[in-house]
Amino acid sequence: MALKLEFTMDNTTNRHSLNGHGVVMHSHHYLALITKLVEDLGDIGGPQILCDVVEESMREIFDDYFRENSLTSAQDRCRAGEEYFSTFGLGKMHITGDERGGEVRLSSSHVDEGWTRKWGAHGKPINHLTCGFISAIFSAAFNKPPKSYATTETASMVTGEPESTFVVTAL
Amino acid sequence: MTVMRDTVVKALAKIQVQSNEKGLIPEYEVLVNLLPVSLLNAFSERIMAAAPPERKAEVEAGLVRAAYECGYHTGCGIITSDIFSEVVMPMVTEDEKDILRGAFAAFTAWGWAKSGIVQLKEAEKMIVRAFDYYEADSGGQGLRGFMLRGLCQAFFDLAYAEPYPDGMDTYVCHQTKGIEVGDAYGEFVVVKK
Repeated sequence: MALKLEFTMDNTTNRHSLNGHGVVMHSHHYLALITKLVEDLGDIGGPQILCDVVEESMREIFDDYFRENSLTSAQDRCRAGEEYFSTFGLGKMHITGDERGGEVRLSSSHVDEGWTRKWGAHGKPINHLTCGFISAIFSAAFNKPPKSYATTETASMVTGEPESTFVVTAL
Repeated sequence: MTVMRDTVVKALAKIQVQSNEKGLIPEYEVLVNLLPVSLLNAFSERIMAAAPPERKAEVEAGLVRAAYECGYHTGCGIITSDIFSEVVMPMVTEDEKDILRGAFAAFTAWGWAKSGIVQLKEAEKMIVRAFDYYEADSGGQGLRGFMLRGLCQAFFDLAYAEPYPDGMDTYVCHQTKGIEVGDAYGEFVVVKK
């Protein structure tokens, strides 16, 4: 299944959209520093805020895409979620699982590679953005309300592992 | 000839980034990402709201810094890229001034901000006005052009500070007006630090 991509630009504002949702380019420097910012704000829940915001924003995009393209099977929806991840330049995602949860692997990762390019390896996983992205895919794929899944990064390329791994659990 | 803004905007707006087989977008000497503006705005507002009053300045500085470093490194990649050389450089007759004009045309073309330079005193001061920018939709209270502040500072550093990568943090940018607070445009003033 190939994700249908419709890139458009508003001729008045020059804002860009993908499948009807506004998008903008940034670089790994931006996401590395945003990730560092939430890590530094751990005492006020920084990592969870980033994770929650990503889940909420992506859920809306997935719901619209699934509805507009009549994607009804969880499997097709997961494949679309993986392809959105790559389209956004965030890496290569591989999902296995069912509505009770599952496992997600990243064989490449913008956040981890970006962090490593900027500061080198790190002692613990930092991919909070992808945790939210995965939770959004699972809840949208299985028609569950937002916050129905907890996603935990259990292995991370930023710590030197060859792949990143996430465990998804239904709440 | 100087940089013809509309020509540059039209040419650059056609460019679409595309991920490779690893789902990554290596362009302009960095890894590019494409993210929903709703996500970026919601994140800024949520993290600002979560910070206690005594730490809001720290969070704001962190958001500006992320945009600044992104702009400084990616900006260097942009103004030395093949597409910039092809589209903008043939029109450059006033060196740094024209490169900055080209850079703000790129801002506009790529949807960061419909913006342009309204005042430029070389190596001293620049005033940029933005008539549309996504951060104006963030819904927060007060001036919210964190990303634009960082980018304006970055491009002035690239134009007038020590050559890349030694010119960081030579200038600073303040936002003086914002669509988000009811002004007709956002205004960003870059001066020496």
